[in-house]
Amino acid sequence: MLPFIVRRLFNLIPTFIIATFLAWGIIQAAPGDFATQFAFDQVDPNKAERIRQLLGLDQAWYIRYLYWLRNLILHFNLGTSMTSKASVTALILPLMRNSMVLLVPATVLAFAIAIPIGVYSALHKYSLADRFLTVFSLLGLAVPNFFLALIVLAFSVQWFHHYHWFLIPTGGMTSTDFSSYGPLHQILDVGWHLIGPVLVLTLSSLAFVSRVMRGEMLEVLSQDYIRTARCKGLSERSVNVKHALRNAILVIVAIIGSTLPGLVSGAGSVEYVTGWPGITPLFISSIFAQDVYVVMALLTILTLLLMVGNLLSDLALAMIDPRIRY
Amino acid sequence: MERVEREEAAVQTKGGPTVVQGASLTTIAWQQFKKHPMARIALVILGIMYLLAAFADFMAPYPEHDINPNATFEPPTVVHFLDPQGNLTWPFIYGMKKTIDMQTFESIWTTDTSTRYPLKLFVHRTGLRDRYVPFPVNLIPVQLRHVLGIRPWATLHLFGVADAGDQAKIHLLGTDDLGADVFGKLMFGARISLTIGILASAVAIVIGMIMGGLAGFYGGWLDEIILRFVEALSAIPFLFLLLTLSAIFYPLHLPSTTQFMLIIVALSVIGWGQIARAVRGQVLSLRERDFTVAAKALGASNMRVITRHLLPQTLSFIIISLSIQIPEYTLAESVLSFFGLGIQPPSTSWGLMLSTAQSFAGVTGLGDRWWIFTPGVAIFVAVLTWNLLGDGLRDAFDPKSRR
Repeated sequence: MLPFIVRRLFNLIPTFIIATFLAWGIIQAAPGDFATQFAFDQVDPNKAERIRQLLGLDQAWYIRYLYWLRNLILHFNLGTSMTSKASVTALILPLMRNSMVLLVPATVLAFAIAIPIGVYSALHKYSLADRFLTVFSLLGLAVPNFFLALIVLAFSVQWFHHYHWFLIPTGGMTSTDFSSYGPLHQILDVGWHLIGPVLVLTLSSLAFVSRVMRGEMLEVLSQDYIRTARCKGLSERSVNVKHALRNAILVIVAIIGSTLPGLVSGAGSVEYVTGWPGITPLFISSIFAQDVYVVMALLTILTLLLMVGNLLSDLALAMIDPRIRY
Repeated sequence: MERVEREEAAVQTKGGPTVVQGASLTTIAWQQFKKHPMARIALVILGIMYLLAAFADFMAPYPEHDINPNATFEPPTVVHFLDPQGNLTWPFIYGMKKTIDMQTFESIWTTDTSTRYPLKLFVHRTGLRDRYVPFPVNLIPVQLRHVLGIRPWATLHLFGVADAGDQAKIHLLGTDDLGADVFGKLMFGARISLTIGILASAVAIVIGMIMGGLAGFYGGWLDEIILRFVEALSAIPFLFLLLTLSAIFYPLHLPSTTQFMLIIVALSVIGWGQIARAVRGQVLSLRERDFTVAAKALGASNMRVITRHLLPQTLSFIIISLSIQIPEYTLAESVLSFFGLGIQPPSTSWGLMLSTAQSFAGVTGLGDRWWIFTPGVAIFVAVLTWNLLGDGLRDAFDPKSRR
């Protein structure tokens, strides 16, 4: 197992370097840079040029990539934000934590609900419930994330207009007087703010995962060894759980890694709409300000996250599936 | 990829013996497609949507860039079919009056029932700003039209209110924050929202097939480089890569046609990877097949083998991946425009229209100004119908998923 992990880890290195180099190139391809906004400074006409030199923006873009990579590897330093002059790591970490607070429950919930739904649909193929769930997942796949979030938000505002109290909050992560609450109250408050965003995120990935689960379960159920198991006189329950589900679940483990990018992107739009203080609002504002190190750091961290997610899902698959040799 | 096997269709001739006929790929596909009632309904709905987009100038009562700062968030106009006595009459509308609540500074719209304004069909609006270039001609770029001297102005609109001026305007879905007609904007926005998906996936498939074909056919270091590149590309989350790519062009304030093309480029640059990967796999298996070996043995050049023997085999694959990509790209465009990095005003798309809803989301309840959320429904319907059509096409062209 260990050589397999090490080999996979080594495989990630070139991907990581190409991906970050690509991202760096794209960011640098934008015309102008952070210093451009000072180009017409009335008091100090040389301000733009000075800032450019101070920040090292006068050097070629690929040279700066090498500097950036060196700092990342040797010092674990992702640079300094040009707008807030704070270390990018210090800027991002709390926002990253906020994003995780949203992403993790939504992912867990989506899989926890979608797998039983998919299995039920497959075992009761073409039943009323199955047809309903099929229609539901078709509809769910077509609703844009951000639109669903908007609807939830507008619904919450409407509720307030009507009853003058909030059923779910109209955005944000905490109430205004959050700091005066006790610890338990604080957790409850964040949980209350989570309802809307998590609901939207869960619903949107629910459709996809349950559809995959249903398809995979049906595929397995049509295999010869299932018929053999039935012929042996095994109970229906034993066939379904021990023979079918065990094999079908492998695919879910395999797709967890590949659903992560969609989830992260989906969480991005939900954060943007509901004003969740995660990484997306920072990403958007940094893009408009051409604060390259922040943009780069966020892209790097997300890329790393996805690569590690994929790796973990592969490892889990290798561990539970005896057919996979490593 | 399996070779598409010719199905033998038994045709019963009149009174005579049964004749066995071979069926072509398209015939089989059409037979299979007809088994999907949902896909056929989706096809009809999509057809209507594209027709509405094409003839948006004719369908919309007001011109594309018509705004009215005095009529922001006007609620949808009610078309009355019954007069106050309850008798059936020619449809008419009432004018709307705006008053401002001096406490909250919100505008309150009330119906002014003093005058009835009858609805007119096929209205000519001859004002300079009202005339438009009708559908197939407006696809020709403006400069080319000038050079060729084509100026076919049209003035006809499907419906409108005659001689009402500003007293009574017909806004079937109300107005937005600029006082523009949402009903009309939906159709003008459809022109962008509905075409970007098709064009972007077409470009992505061309790039993907070229790269995948090269990687699979030549193998070696070329294969390695392309694969690595695709892997790196897919390692960066889709949305964030798309936003970063679009941000390149954002500061340039480009004209909307250029912006439109750049979005297509950005979308296809991100999406070609998975197509290339799939095509590579197909080519790898196809190039060992007997007919490829035979073609090579007969002295066919690499180019001929690729274009005549390998690519045609991937036709079903192209159609299937188009049907998956188009709805995805339609969604992606709406997200991009929603974030303010896609289509820029004065052009409009459904995502951009929703960003208006977003900026007023904190104050707008779902019931108060529901009409500004309608672009979301339009996106939903477009993506749903494309998905349904895609399901039908997949079953029609993929021998493995046939029923």
